[in-house]
Amino acid sequence: MNQVAQQPETLQRQNQTLRADAPSTAAPTLSVKGLTISYQAKRGAVQAVRNVSFEVQRGEALALIGESGSGKTTMGLGMVRLLPSTATVSQGQMLYQRQLDGQDTNRVDVLQLKGRDLRQFRWKECAMVFQAALNAFNPVLRISDQFGDTARAHSYLQGKDLAERARQLFELVRLDPERVWRSYPHELSGGMRQRVLIALGLLLEPQLLILDEPTTALDILTQRNIMDVLKELRQRLDFSLLFISHDLSLAAELADRVATMYAGKLVEISDVYTTFKNPVHPYTIGLINAVPTLTAHRDHVASIPGSPPDLIDLPRGCKFHPRCPLATERCREEEPELVPSTDDTHWVACWNWEIARSQLSAGQKGTSA
Amino acid sequence: MGTTAPTRSETRSNQGNAFLRTFKLLARNKIGLLGLTVFLLMTLVSFVGPLVIPPETQAHVDQIYQPPSAAHPLGTDFQGREMWKMVIHGGRDVLIVAFLAGIITTLVAVTFGAVSAFFGGWVDSLMMAITDIWLTIPRFLLLVVVATLVRLENVWMLALFLAFFGWPGLARQIRSQVLSLKKREYVEAAQLLDLGSAHIIFREMLPNMMSYIVIAMINAMTSAIYSQTGLVFLGVVPFGNNWGVMFSLAYAKNAIYNPNAAASLLVPMGAIILFQISLVMLSRSLEEIFNPRLRRGV
Amino acid sequence: MSSGATVTPPKKTATKPAILLEKIATNFWLRTIVKKVFIVWVVVTLTFFIIRALPGNPVEIMVMSLMDSGLSSEEAYTRAASLLRIDLNAPLSEQYLDYMSNLLKGDLGDSYVLAINKPVTTLIAQRLPWTLFSVGTSLLISFVIGMFLGTLAAYRRNSLLDHALTNFGAAIESIPNTLTAIVLVLLLGVTWKVVPLNFMRGSLSPGIKPGFTVEFLIDLFKHYAVPGTVYVFSTLGGWMLAMRSSTISTLGDDYVTVARARGLPDLRIITAYVGRNASLPLITSLAISLGFVVGGSILIEYIFVYQGIGLLLSQAIGKRDYPVMQGILLVTTITVILSTALADLLYGWLDPRIRITGGGE
Repeated sequence: MNQVAQQPETLQRQNQTLRADAPSTAAPTLSVKGLTISYQAKRGAVQAVRNVSFEVQRGEALALIGESGSGKTTMGLGMVRLLPSTATVSQGQMLYQRQLDGQDTNRVDVLQLKGRDLRQFRWKECAMVFQAALNAFNPVLRISDQFGDTARAHSYLQGKDLAERARQLFELVRLDPERVWRSYPHELSGGMRQRVLIALGLLLEPQLLILDEPTTALDILTQRNIMDVLKELRQRLDFSLLFISHDLSLAAELADRVATMYAGKLVEISDVYTTFKNPVHPYTIGLINAVPTLTAHRDHVASIPGSPPDLIDLPRGCKFHPRCPLATERCREEEPELVPSTDDTHWVACWNWEIARSQLSAGQKGTSA
Repeated sequence: MGTTAPTRSETRSNQGNAFLRTFKLLARNKIGLLGLTVFLLMTLVSFVGPLVIPPETQAHVDQIYQPPSAAHPLGTDFQGREMWKMVIHGGRDVLIVAFLAGIITTLVAVTFGAVSAFFGGWVDSLMMAITDIWLTIPRFLLLVVVATLVRLENVWMLALFLAFFGWPGLARQIRSQVLSLKKREYVEAAQLLDLGSAHIIFREMLPNMMSYIVIAMINAMTSAIYSQTGLVFLGVVPFGNNWGVMFSLAYAKNAIYNPNAAASLLVPMGAIILFQISLVMLSRSLEEIFNPRLRRGV
Repeated sequence: MSSGATVTPPKKTATKPAILLEKIATNFWLRTIVKKVFIVWVVVTLTFFIIRALPGNPVEIMVMSLMDSGLSSEEAYTRAASLLRIDLNAPLSEQYLDYMSNLLKGDLGDSYVLAINKPVTTLIAQRLPWTLFSVGTSLLISFVIGMFLGTLAAYRRNSLLDHALTNFGAAIESIPNTLTAIVLVLLLGVTWKVVPLNFMRGSLSPGIKPGFTVEFLIDLFKHYAVPGTVYVFSTLGGWMLAMRSSTISTLGDDYVTVARARGLPDLRIITAYVGRNASLPLITSLAISLGFVVGGSILIEYIFVYQGIGLLLSQAIGKRDYPVMQGILLVTTITVILSTALADLLYGWLDPRIRITGGGE
């Protein structure tokens, strides 16, 4: 951990270059540096997140995409320090830029927060909408009580003021405030509960909202509805967003930048347009080719052969090489680091990204197809 | 058909090994091993002991209430009989009742719970309503009252009665187990293949519940001993010499206020407690082995 | 556990009785009441047939014992009939109807051995409060302590403390309460002499009158302390283990994680989020265990000569006083069923998912 902390300047510079499409020159809301998380399991250590660095700028939406088991949910839980007790963060920093009245104040390492500070950081600074939000509410308390609990824990508005604030938020997420406020969770549908959770997430005006697969358990129409709500919220309110999903098309709708994760590591990061039009990592290319589009011919849709690696017993070299059509001897031996590719906003971790770009680019088929 | 055959033979060979595997796992579990050892030892002594050691049929008026000493390792009772011999002879009936009641309770509960869960619908509703009623009634009181009317003279009758009063809680547990098994793929597959209810229950489900059933049986034995002790103490089950009768008699003779007589009260009580705790240790360890989620608490 | 309370909208074409049935089936409160009344009826009927029809035929035994006291066979029959309030010559169905109507009038017959010609209801009314007080108080104490220890074990699971608590809990649950009582009397009263023996016999010291006096309350507590400890000791393990496993499964629920993410204080999470949800399934067992503990009181009250209903029953059993036995069986069962009804209502009040339909729509 110290090792990383000792060279803030070099990292700072690197981070500056990492930025794509950044709306302001202020410090990033969140910058994650060299984060490494593993789980203790019977067979050995599960390396869920390995040396991951990225940042989320003020007001920016970053999508974190990858297959299940790629470590993206671990990242999300790590962000609010809610990893299970079997998990250890062996390395890294998670620097969060505090703000007061729109001015940057101090920066804190979320991983160092304890007790009351940690409790205040959660939800007030960084709120999280969970994957299984259907059961996100205590079944025996009314929605109003659960808003009240949250507000009280952070010395926020109470009573009538709180109800008024909640009413505004419910309208923002297109819910009927009168009905929802006095309801118990089981009286609301899945989509409604998800929107209530989003409203609750915005209650304390956090700088950063993490959405972990917010639409996974919902039917397609409800999913659509939630996405519309989220897009509208992004336009009307000022917060940064970390959107964790396996669904590329949803990421495309909401994100400014996209980071692709594979086997606990970031393999590509760029602005959303580049990710979709000119991806250079064979895995990202594979993911994009696996998404059926209206214009593409049906047999152009291809899945990536093979399955994600065993996180306890990772292959040597590049973790994607067993599934990669371009794998070479070097890929089998040495793991590539995340480096700038076509320009300094587009980073990739692949030895052969140039070959990949020309041979595997989206729309054309790789050798595997 | 061809697809199910290997699955079943697999299950069966697993069962064969399961016993050995369980034993090996149990051997590694300190508490479980201790429980098993005490359990086996007490069973052995209670069944083999009476064959080797002659019973104490004679009173020794000059040896009444001797505290434990070299001459009387566990002291003597109100008739001057050797406690250690009494204890060896007093275990058999208690254990037989416990075994029988445990087996019968489990049989009734498994049948009831499995049928209820398997058929569902109104059968389930009706059977569970009966179970609930039976659970709500103060069964021990009923047991006591009935015991005054029906003479529970032999171990079979007593075991049958204990089982009759003890099954409902277990039946509920078995039912929820079957319900969860019912959703498993191999059971659904068997249902699709129309293999018949009996086949599905006895061939597909029960083997997968064996560990659960064994644990349930041990727990049923524990409660059988619990109730039996109470009945004996109240004097509604006329029995010869057994641990329950021994301590009840000692209590009735006010052994509690006589320091020299303490052994005659505490020795049979100790035997009951020791046996109960060995059963608990055994069942808890088996639970840990078969349900690792409990251990890790995930 | 019982989250399966589904709401079906009443069908429009249903006839009036069907609507009533539908209402009973869907309304939680109505359903609870109907169920409890049904159970009471089952027990009442069962008791009738146990006393009348079991192989030992208690009526015959009763007649015999009356004849032993010098009555002629005919006189004895008439006497038994009047004690039991049943015409023994009438057909069984008529006897059953008589018995039921007597019950509805609150007449349980007269005692004939224990307290000659005293109505059973009077006897029970004198004794029942003692049992309800001692058993009820102990059950609440053990429930609260068990919930606390169970939560503690669940939060510290797999620690040394957890192992110690769970093994201790499982062990004390299996030790017959009779033995616990005897060991306590021996240790506290005889060996260590911490509690004077006269506080372990009876429920009040002689000369003390029940009333709201300090003297009475202190004496009440002194006599309650040891038998109360036995009740607590023999039920504590069950609560602890149940609460532990319930808490562990609740801790894995999403809303607990979300509550942490919301930055709620730990105390609030433990009580309102984990504790309240984890204790829901235990509420039902609380009522059921009341029956179990009242059953156990027959042994405990016998040992401590505690003037409750259990002692009365053990005396009645010793003397084969059937009207008393029958009356106690009925009254305790009804008490237990009433308390399960209370528990069900409490459950419905605590869990909004059960509280359904009725006037709201």
